[in-house]
Amino acid sequence: MEFRPRNYKREKESRALPRARADDHPLCTPATSRPQAVRDNRIEDFFDPLRGPNTDVEGAPRNLLDKERTSGGFSAERNDPHAGDWHSFKRLLMQRFPISKMISISSISDGIMKSNKVDEISSTSSRLEELDDPQKFAKEGNTSITRQEYVFRLTDFKEKILQAWHSDDRVTALKLTIKVARLLMDTSVRQFYPTLFVLATDVMDMLGDMVWERIKQKAEFTVDGSKLCSLAENFDATGVCEDAKETCNNWFYKVGAIMELLPRIYLELAILPCWRFLLVQPADCLHRLVKMIRGLADPLSSAYCHLYMVHRARKLLSRDTAYMITCMNDMNILLMDAMSLKRDVSKTSEEKKRLLINLIEPTIEYIVHHIFEDTPKEQLATALVDLGLGGKGDNKVISCVSIVAHCYIKELPADMVRSKSKEIINLIECCNDCSLDKCLNYRLLGFRLSETTSPQDMVDVVDHVIQVVLLWGKLDEFLKVMDAFLDLVLQNQMDNHILNVLEGIAMLARDKAFTEEELGSLQSILVKLVSHFEDLEDLFGLNHYLEILDMMYGRPRSIVNVHILDRAIRKGLWQDHHIIQLLFGISKSLMDEIDQTSMIDNDYQQPARLISRFVSMVDYGSDVERHLAFLAECRGAFGSINELKEALVHSSNSLAIQGLKHSNKHFSFIMSCIAYSEVTIPSISSPMKQSNLYIETAEVALLGGLVSHAEGLAESAVSCLQSLVLNGSPGIADVEGVLSSFQKLCSLLVMVPANTGPSLNYAPKSLFVFSDSQSKMIPRTTTRLFSAIILLSAALSQETLPYRADNFGIPGNDQLFYGDSSYSQELVSISNLAAQKLVDAIQQEPSSVARGIMALEACNCIASSFRMSPETSNICFKLLGIAKLCLGAQDKYINSTTKFLETCSLPSSDEAQEGI
Amino acid sequence: MSSAALEIKLSRPSRIYRPSEPLEGKIVVKSASSISHRGVRLAVNGSVITQVRGGAAGLVESIVGAVKPVVIVNRIIEVQPPGRIASGTTEIPFSVTLKQSGGDKRERFYETFHGANINIQYLLTADVTRGYLHKSLCATMEFILEADKAELLDQPASPEIVIFYITQDTQRHPLLPELKSGGFRVTGKMSIQCALSDPISGELIVETSAVPIRSVDIHILRIESFVFGDRIVTDTSLVQTTQIADGDVSRHMILPIYVIPPRLLTCPTTSAGSFSIEFKVAIVISFQSELSKMQAKSDPRTPRLWMAMETLPLELVRTR
Repeated sequence: MEFRPRNYKREKESRALPRARADDHPLCTPATSRPQAVRDNRIEDFFDPLRGPNTDVEGAPRNLLDKERTSGGFSAERNDPHAGDWHSFKRLLMQRFPISKMISISSISDGIMKSNKVDEISSTSSRLEELDDPQKFAKEGNTSITRQEYVFRLTDFKEKILQAWHSDDRVTALKLTIKVARLLMDTSVRQFYPTLFVLATDVMDMLGDMVWERIKQKAEFTVDGSKLCSLAENFDATGVCEDAKETCNNWFYKVGAIMELLPRIYLELAILPCWRFLLVQPADCLHRLVKMIRGLADPLSSAYCHLYMVHRARKLLSRDTAYMITCMNDMNILLMDAMSLKRDVSKTSEEKKRLLINLIEPTIEYIVHHIFEDTPKEQLATALVDLGLGGKGDNKVISCVSIVAHCYIKELPADMVRSKSKEIINLIECCNDCSLDKCLNYRLLGFRLSETTSPQDMVDVVDHVIQVVLLWGKLDEFLKVMDAFLDLVLQNQMDNHILNVLEGIAMLARDKAFTEEELGSLQSILVKLVSHFEDLEDLFGLNHYLEILDMMYGRPRSIVNVHILDRAIRKGLWQDHHIIQLLFGISKSLMDEIDQTSMIDNDYQQPARLISRFVSMVDYGSDVERHLAFLAECRGAFGSINELKEALVHSSNSLAIQGLKHSNKHFSFIMSCIAYSEVTIPSISSPMKQSNLYIETAEVALLGGLVSHAEGLAESAVSCLQSLVLNGSPGIADVEGVLSSFQKLCSLLVMVPANTGPSLNYAPKSLFVFSDSQSKMIPRTTTRLFSAIILLSAALSQETLPYRADNFGIPGNDQLFYGDSSYSQELVSISNLAAQKLVDAIQQEPSSVARGIMALEACNCIASSFRMSPETSNICFKLLGIAKLCLGAQDKYINSTTKFLETCSLPSSDEAQEGI
Repeated sequence: MSSAALEIKLSRPSRIYRPSEPLEGKIVVKSASSISHRGVRLAVNGSVITQVRGGAAGLVESIVGAVKPVVIVNRIIEVQPPGRIASGTTEIPFSVTLKQSGGDKRERFYETFHGANINIQYLLTADVTRGYLHKSLCATMEFILEADKAELLDQPASPEIVIFYITQDTQRHPLLPELKSGGFRVTGKMSIQCALSDPISGELIVETSAVPIRSVDIHILRIESFVFGDRIVTDTSLVQTTQIADGDVSRHMILPIYVIPPRLLTCPTTSAGSFSIEFKVAIVISFQSELSKMQAKSDPRTPRLWMAMETLPLELVRTR
């Protein structure tokens, strides 16, 4: 067999497709609207997995409604938007204060115990757990029941009330409801109160609605069912008939006769909407009711009673908010009393107060929310004055409980927060109780202020706050407040204040270690600064920034570091040595943190990626030696990151190329780059990656004229592939990877000049050995491997190589060995062997289709590599026969291959070649 | 034997009528078969019944305590002459006016009242008398009488308001030593002439109190007096208790007094020759005390060591 001589240049020219200049870049966005329309249509059909939950949204409320229906909600209530609001609020309350399994009940609420003659569950042990206060132990009549039991009994009450009502025994229904309302008098188990409230008000709402419906019925229909009139949505008492009024009055008489204050108020609130049948201005009652609630001395029951009032009052359709303001002022006074009680200053009482505040907070929030929501915008200022906010003169400031102030700040419209910021600060200053930490109010203020961007100057406010908080001298609080105000500062470009804040932190943090909590706030502050500054130079230029960062430790520090690196890799190439050193330090500390903590994959991935990105973005420009030194330093510091080492090899290789480009003098530098790569590659864990990097480095070495290095590297690449194959069975992806690396290596070897040593063509031989050794793998890969060897050999035998590396002064094999008979003999013998193996491998392929295609591929390869001789055509026709058997005679590929074979068998003239 | 039922239905569900208004309604007879009768009659009966209950008088008197009732009105009208009532449901309408024009000017229709010792009650009795062999059908129903609008006062022009204050020194009964020494002061004002249809209203302020307050309650008391033999029996009883403060309320807060007078249990303050009905209101402050827990269920009117109280006269009037 003999290689076919080829003229690569002419072949390329004759087969190249005609080229024409294009008007548009194929990847730029199309300007015409048509393709967009098409895209829109496609979106319709396209199933986006992320949209999954979205499509469910329609279904969700339906489910909810269904649930409500089954739980016995009232039809009238469902149409009301307020009902939904209240419903979700109730659910929130229940969730916020989950209750323990057992509830101890004092004698007041034994209504629930007596109502059913179920065996009372009371065990001393559970009672002991439940009693938060040992004194109560002495009290009589304390029994415990389980939560489920309690809830069950209340629902039972509800059912009984419904039953009584529907059997026209309305007095019993009322009596039972009063019993339920009485349960609310028991505040002894505080944690349970919100749940109790929700359950009990549910019952009362039900009764209230039933009474309303009944009276409405009376007003609209006569006794015998004929229609009198129909009341409009916003009717008033003038059009209501006497009979309905009489019934309505009776209800209020009945409710008014309840002896205890709390159930009396609750019941009147339940039927509060019915005042609309009697009074033209029903909202006037609210003022009396607010005052009546003052009689409840327990802050907890008073707060929840207020809450219920605000809820029921919304049914009066009045926009009057004055009563709510009275509500808040009353609650304020009550809470102030409760907070200032100095009877016992023990720890338990502090805890109790905290629990109390915790329990009351949602009620305040709800009321304040509705004050600000319902008050018309133009009256808001007056409302605020009534609440003690922003009156004229200093003496107008009513002192206020912190928690109330907190809710004010939370619920005020954002623009009001801005315009009243000074008054709010005064208010916060006046709060001196333990209900809420002052710094939390400042913190909230900071957040609220940054919500809107208005031209108003906030410098004074920020100045003032920094001063005040700094005076407290508590780092933790300072950090919390500043964290909130930083948004505002950054929004308004108050750079001076950034410095002030940092200085404050540095000053307060001197000589002490940060606590966990402080670290959290500090992390937030530093991250905000990172994301604010476009330029890391500016960030690092801030006084104390790095100092503070250095004082941090643990996870928060890592998070800040991650953010800094993230910012760093967005910016582009890094050239400033100083910054690079800083970032290197940051990366290093990040790395240390990773090393210390157990490496969980997810936590580890991001920092590793960021560090590698950063390293590859460092660019010392022409100072390549320094760059290489940096790379060496990186390898030392981040040796454990695989990804990074890959990046390092890439970097050093590109450095070598850069060195080559700049001048040829730096031969030793290129040597050291290659050496660096050579040393680094073995430490990478994946052999696949190793071999690819070896090939890359070999290429670079070849370009640098280091032939022996290139050869050695190529050899290493082969041995890597070898080890990959030997160490267990590689997966499909790996097999593909091996194949492509192998092909790449072959194409590289075309340029590597052969050694004049004992084995002339070492490379093809070793490749052959490798291919042979792995032929037990899938035959398909094997055939391609052998094809590659044949093609390589054919290329090496040519008079002119298809491409060469001689622009760096390396001679090609064509120049060295063309015409050397022993050289070409060797190549032919290798190819012959390869061709044999090729045919064998094809016959082993089990799948007929794959076998056919492989046969055709091999046939093409052999036909284009060898000159047509009886021996070659024999092989070719044999292969073609296999293909025809497997694919059928009509296959296109077979046809074109047949044609190709025909042109090959013609005398090899240039004209004939062109006909293909 | 066929069963038959008799029922009185009044035109007003509230059953409240005034003397000069026609008292209208119908007698409903439900019977499976037709009934022959000797006339359908309706009796209107109003009377003041006084009786002595235990406590107010001696044991002997309580045994023979029933005093002959004072009749206010007693009239019998024949609604239907003797005849037959068909089977099924038959409704026989009626209309009676209590106050007859040209009647006795001195005739007084007291308002309905149900007290402990005095009851002023108006009853309607329908009666279908049948032959000797049959039991006559009978039904009774109470209706409520309120004074004629024409006789009523207008809303009191300036309701009489009384200012009160309660301190440790205004109490005539012994107090707990800590109350005596610590001191307290509760002030307020209250209207003591009050229309029955309106709430009794006022204000109360706890100014100071060294001992925490447990509860503030408003009691409405009624004083019923009547001539019994040769002396006058007077009995005070509790009508209604309304709590206005639960627990140790904040100082200097205005707490509203808002008490709705209970229907039936109250009536206009009345003074007739043989009896009188008067009312009082008591403001009772109970303080927190270990002692009070021992005797939680005692009569709230009894003065106790841990209580302070103030009693004011209350004139209830019927207004237009």
